[in-house]
Amino acid sequence: MSILFQGRATGATAVKQSLWNRFVMFWVHHIRQALTSLGEIWLTPASSLLTVAVLGVSLTLPVTLHLMVKNLQQVSSSIDQAAQISLFLKADTNETQIAELIALLQANPEVADVQFIDKGQALAEFTAESGFGDAFSYIEDNPLPHVMLVSPKNTSSVAASALLETLKQERYVELAKLDIGWLERLDAIVSLVRQVAMAVALLLMVAVLLVVGNTIRLMILNKKDEIEVMKLVGATNSYIQRPFLYTGIWLGFFGGILTFLIEEVLLWWLKHAIAGVTQLYESSFTLEPMSLAELGYLLLVAISLGFFGSLLAVRRNISQIEATGL
Amino acid sequence: MLRFEQVTKSYSGGFVALDRVSFHLEKGEMAFLTGHSGAGKSTLLKLISLIERPTTGKVFINGVDLSRVNRGQVPYVRRDIGMIFQNHKLLMNHSVFDNVALPLVIEGFSGKDMTKRVHAALDKVGLLDKVRCLPHTLSGGEQQRVGIARAVVNRPPLLLADEPTGNLDPDLSKDIMNVFEAFNQVGVSVLIASHDLSLLARMRYRTLTLKNGRMINDGLTSYGADE
Repeated sequence: MSILFQGRATGATAVKQSLWNRFVMFWVHHIRQALTSLGEIWLTPASSLLTVAVLGVSLTLPVTLHLMVKNLQQVSSSIDQAAQISLFLKADTNETQIAELIALLQANPEVADVQFIDKGQALAEFTAESGFGDAFSYIEDNPLPHVMLVSPKNTSSVAASALLETLKQERYVELAKLDIGWLERLDAIVSLVRQVAMAVALLLMVAVLLVVGNTIRLMILNKKDEIEVMKLVGATNSYIQRPFLYTGIWLGFFGGILTFLIEEVLLWWLKHAIAGVTQLYESSFTLEPMSLAELGYLLLVAISLGFFGSLLAVRRNISQIEATGL
Repeated sequence: MLRFEQVTKSYSGGFVALDRVSFHLEKGEMAFLTGHSGAGKSTLLKLISLIERPTTGKVFINGVDLSRVNRGQVPYVRRDIGMIFQNHKLLMNHSVFDNVALPLVIEGFSGKDMTKRVHAALDKVGLLDKVRCLPHTLSGGEQQRVGIARAVVNRPPLLLADEPTGNLDPDLSKDIMNVFEAFNQVGVSVLIASHDLSLLARMRYRTLTLKNGRMINDGLTSYGADE
């Protein structure tokens, strides 16, 4: 609508258009501008490629840390499942007392399974496997205690340690042990790595924001003359800034794709090294790759960074360019 | 249509570019604005197109006080004014069509409607055959006519021109002026800043003469007054 001339039909509103038509044109217009911005990136490949590379490399570090955390958690949770409590019985416990304890434990609703290892059986196993076979023949008494292996129903470390506390109180139990100390340590390390990942990600995101902002700022300065002309013929700031915002979005998108590609190469490269380590531990650990949802998140974050970085630049720079004209 | 009321523009440092200038350009009137360089012609045009704001005094277009127009409304005001520049201000890496279409694209035109208007504007300045050319392949006079086509493509009621014949030979200047006269005849108000005195003498329109920021003459036979 014209400000100076009441009733002067201006712009496309002068042409009667149906709502649907206008809706379609709105999207056609935006898609066209998005493609134009893509074309401009294509025309200035050097600076755009550099920016995309910075984005890709910067985002790779937090993504790698994230995958590391994810895989470590997978390891720790698989071990968590195997939590088992060892009850070492007092040396003078007799057979009836043992049977009594087994019955008691089996009646406990928290206990899934009880396995009794007789001290003679334990000595035989130890003699066979430890390599000290001959040495044991010189010992007269069996120094080993009877052992009961109790598998808790609830295998989480908290529930297991609660059960451990109650089993410690049993009369014939000398010592009860749940080997979760190292599990807790692993959990702590995983959470530490996760927090480091968060901090690194935050810092790198700020860096990416600034890099995109600077790239867009240079693009704006390069097009200063063009922007001046557009202002002279009546373009609003939001009209002028739109292509730059699309450029930011594209930079973010390509940066995200590059991150994904780097990550895939990295995983492929590390796969053999990790296989070597896990073989030593006889574990069937497989490296969990990036899921489709995670790729989606990555692209979303990258695109948002591109968009906001560009917004930062256009807000500051476009309104500063004033038509000098005439 | 265009009215200046005691308009003064002074820049920081104390330089007074315009000193209490008043005049009134009627609807459908065509006038020249003349004076030596530095006399304040450009400043006067900048006040109309809201590139600058007056220090004191008021500028009205069609009765609307421009001091009431805020920053966000400036682009919309400029859409109502066709502006032509001495150095053309064309987008050099875009075709003639794109240049002329720019004001329409900004206003949201597209498709056939836009093409029709662009072709009509280029036809008026006689450049229909150069639609697909890039501006730097055109001569100075042709570039200036592209600038004119761009200024009139959305049919503004007011046309401002700053030294439109600045670097052109007399024949081309005459062509350009004929184009302006043609627009004036269909009711567009035209204000042309020029120091080309021989051209002014031939054209015989109302002439506003500025000297050191003051309006020293407002009338038909102004040329030569400040010689």
